[in-house]
Amino acid sequence: MLIYISRRLLWTPVLLFVAGLFIFSLGSVAPGDPAELMAGQRADPEAIARIRDRLGLDDPFLVQYTRYAANALKGDFGESYRYRGRDVIELLGPKLLVSLELNIVSYVVTLLIGLPLGFWAAMRQGTWKDPAMTTFMLLVYALPVFFTAPFLILVFALWLDWIPVSGWSGMFSTHAILPAFTIGVPGAFVFMRYMRASTLDVLGQEYVRTAHGKGMGHMTVNRRHIARNALLPIVTILGFSLAGLFGGSLIVELIYGIPGVSRLALEAVFQRDYPVLTTLTLLGATMLAIANLVADIMYSLIDPRIRLRA
Amino acid sequence: MKIARFFGVSLIAAVALFAVACTTEPEPTQPPAPEPTATQVPTVVSTPPPTRAERPTPSSGQPKVAPELLQTPEGSGDEERSGGIFRRLWSDPPTLDPALVTDGTSYGIVIELFSGLVKLTGESDEPIVADLAESYTVSNGGKTYKFILREDLKFSDGSPVTASDFKWSWERAAAPETESPIVDEFLGDIVGVQAIIDGDATTADGIEVIDDHTLQVTIDAPKPYFIAKLTYPIAFVVNADNVTSGGENWTDSLVGTGPFVLKDYSIGERMVLSKNSNYWGDAAYLDEVHLLLAGGSAMAMYENDEIDITGIGLADLERVSDPTEEISKDVIEVPPSFSTSYIGFNMEEAPFDDVHFRRALNFAVDKQLVAEAVFSDLVRPATGVIPPGFVGFNSDLEGLSFDEEKAKEELALSKYADPDTRPRIVITLPGTGGSPSLTTEVVADMWRRTLEVDVEIQQVEWATFLQDLHRNRLQAFSLAWQADYPDPHTFVDVLFRTGSSINNTNYSNPDVDALLEEANVEADPVRRIELYQEAEEIIVEDAAWLPLWWGVEGKVLVKQHIEGLMFPPLSVPIYQHVWIDG
Repeated sequence: MLIYISRRLLWTPVLLFVAGLFIFSLGSVAPGDPAELMAGQRADPEAIARIRDRLGLDDPFLVQYTRYAANALKGDFGESYRYRGRDVIELLGPKLLVSLELNIVSYVVTLLIGLPLGFWAAMRQGTWKDPAMTTFMLLVYALPVFFTAPFLILVFALWLDWIPVSGWSGMFSTHAILPAFTIGVPGAFVFMRYMRASTLDVLGQEYVRTAHGKGMGHMTVNRRHIARNALLPIVTILGFSLAGLFGGSLIVELIYGIPGVSRLALEAVFQRDYPVLTTLTLLGATMLAIANLVADIMYSLIDPRIRLRA
Repeated sequence: MKIARFFGVSLIAAVALFAVACTTEPEPTQPPAPEPTATQVPTVVSTPPPTRAERPTPSSGQPKVAPELLQTPEGSGDEERSGGIFRRLWSDPPTLDPALVTDGTSYGIVIELFSGLVKLTGESDEPIVADLAESYTVSNGGKTYKFILREDLKFSDGSPVTASDFKWSWERAAAPETESPIVDEFLGDIVGVQAIIDGDATTADGIEVIDDHTLQVTIDAPKPYFIAKLTYPIAFVVNADNVTSGGENWTDSLVGTGPFVLKDYSIGERMVLSKNSNYWGDAAYLDEVHLLLAGGSAMAMYENDEIDITGIGLADLERVSDPTEEISKDVIEVPPSFSTSYIGFNMEEAPFDDVHFRRALNFAVDKQLVAEAVFSDLVRPATGVIPPGFVGFNSDLEGLSFDEEKAKEELALSKYADPDTRPRIVITLPGTGGSPSLTTEVVADMWRRTLEVDVEIQQVEWATFLQDLHRNRLQAFSLAWQADYPDPHTFVDVLFRTGSSINNTNYSNPDVDALLEEANVEADPVRRIELYQEAEEIIVEDAAWLPLWWGVEGKVLVKQHIEGLMFPPLSVPIYQHVWIDG
């Protein structure tokens, strides 16, 4: 397995190089010129030429990318075009942190709602409650964020006046509540389904019948034998979700005025801020690679039947 | 510099955010902060600032502000004008370096942090007054300006401001490594500055330091509008030590001469301005101005007391205007800004190379109808280029107003009379999201119905638009232009003179050029205005544009306890006069 892991790790830089190349190449094919945007609408061609020259935009594309990649290896991801003189990393750091916090807290909401609900529904299989809850959660899942977010704002911030509408001051502040629920609750549907399926699987096992037959209390059987075993496969799914933790939740960040990475990414697109875009892509690709690896490893740890072979 | 673009920022919102003008279309939409960077919007001023006195008081009572306070916004000594914090949405400014400002978002902040020899007042009878200069005289047939600086001027760090600081600031603005995109336009008239821009010199003979308090500036020709251009940030004074020691990000700890200083700036999150205790004039009442940069749901934030001002979205307009609603007391009418929105015709592209065809398009549009039906009369149909209230506005100019018969006659005269060979028209507008501008659709429809032309509307995002505009690839485009300084030059000359860098229609008429050349150096102000108006008339007759609207009136919501907020038609420092009631 160690060989497997190291081989995967060795492949990662190649993957990143290609992903970076792809996004970087957009710069040479997409319309719009960063230098023109920097200089503004009235700039004379000389001013634009000066900026292009400073940014090295007139070099052939591959030269530009090689230069970028070489610097990136040294940990220097360049300067933002939009925010003159700002290191991309310095710019992205605080935003990534905010998005990470937002995603973690949303994820916690997802799990805290999804897992118990899934278990609850599975235990009521065959009654009207199971399909009713599943349908309800499916409905919530299907609601678009640009409907739910303003609705939550209206109810909890404006009518009830409990929590602020916008801003961010950490995952443990009241600012986190609305966005966390906006993202977290719909996501709970997916985990509810997983948990329900997994619980039903366990319910049919003989050891459950044995436990009941031994005269164990319902609560004890539920907790010790059913829930615990049902959770095992779920853990592997968690690995996959890691990758998403650094990503932004565009609409939610925009609606709640959260200074996360999405806004910056969106702005980078419109401003042709290629250093920022490329770096974000590389980060995303890295996270995905790691998350996949973690998920694979977890699988093999939990289920000894799966062997990772190099 | 003010091209407006449509980016979800609607007129009403844009008006609210006065500096950010821009948009092609006055459709009230979400009231967001001014759009980032791309908005190459300019700004500038005049006419009486509407103040709280104009707040409608629908339900009862007196205006909250005593009128005398309004008339002397800088009046002092009133202990009841407490400080506090003023909060609003804004966007990350593309730059805080005065030499690089070309957009409204940056402009609105930079004028609070820096200042120059002269400033705009927002008053129409005296649009420009001395600021850091105490007075100035013009001699040598209008070519030499002598500025006397105020005594004891200080930068916000306490160091003195002298005439040599101005010389340094301007020469630095002109230096190629500063990369100012507009220095040519604003300071290029000064003798010797062009050589610096070209990299052939480092100092300009035209900027002379007579002594610590006296600066003498010599320009290449007697251009009466020169002084107006000095109100633009590029002519503001910066601190040499601050700029040279701070490197590329010197504005992180900037030292200025404006009523506020930059206390804190987290990109994409928040900018905090605080009172400059070394300001030469009356200190601001406010302790701090918080500019929230992360966006959000403006209306909800306003109602939840998280911001003190917001534009009004179309969806909320009816509710907040209802006098039985408490919030209706917060509604303030914002007077139009000095801007003109238009559809520009690229004269190098068929079918716009034919004057009769362009005239036909002008005659075919019933702007009055659109103003009433679509915009509830919030916009005023434009008959020319210079907006009402602005220096040089010609109220007698009738323009090519709606006349279907004339439209058809002109079409018949044009070489595109035959519908089979007539090229189709594509109107391009900048913007993202949503549906394209309603105005443009209505205009296109009027063209189709009256002239049976084939029209397509195309919306592209700003980066692409800008590139196509610069490359002269657009056939017709929808934009708005806002005045940079209170002189007709900012409209008529920069937009229509042959060879001007922002003459995007490629309009070229030797008669107009001759008139402009004469007007630009005419010493008699009355004659000068006449010359500009004559040029404007020819431009309108030549139908270089389809002028659409002049600055749009808008409505914004301002919290009742905020007093002294002004909405001048051009950007001037405003937070200085704001105070919190109670």
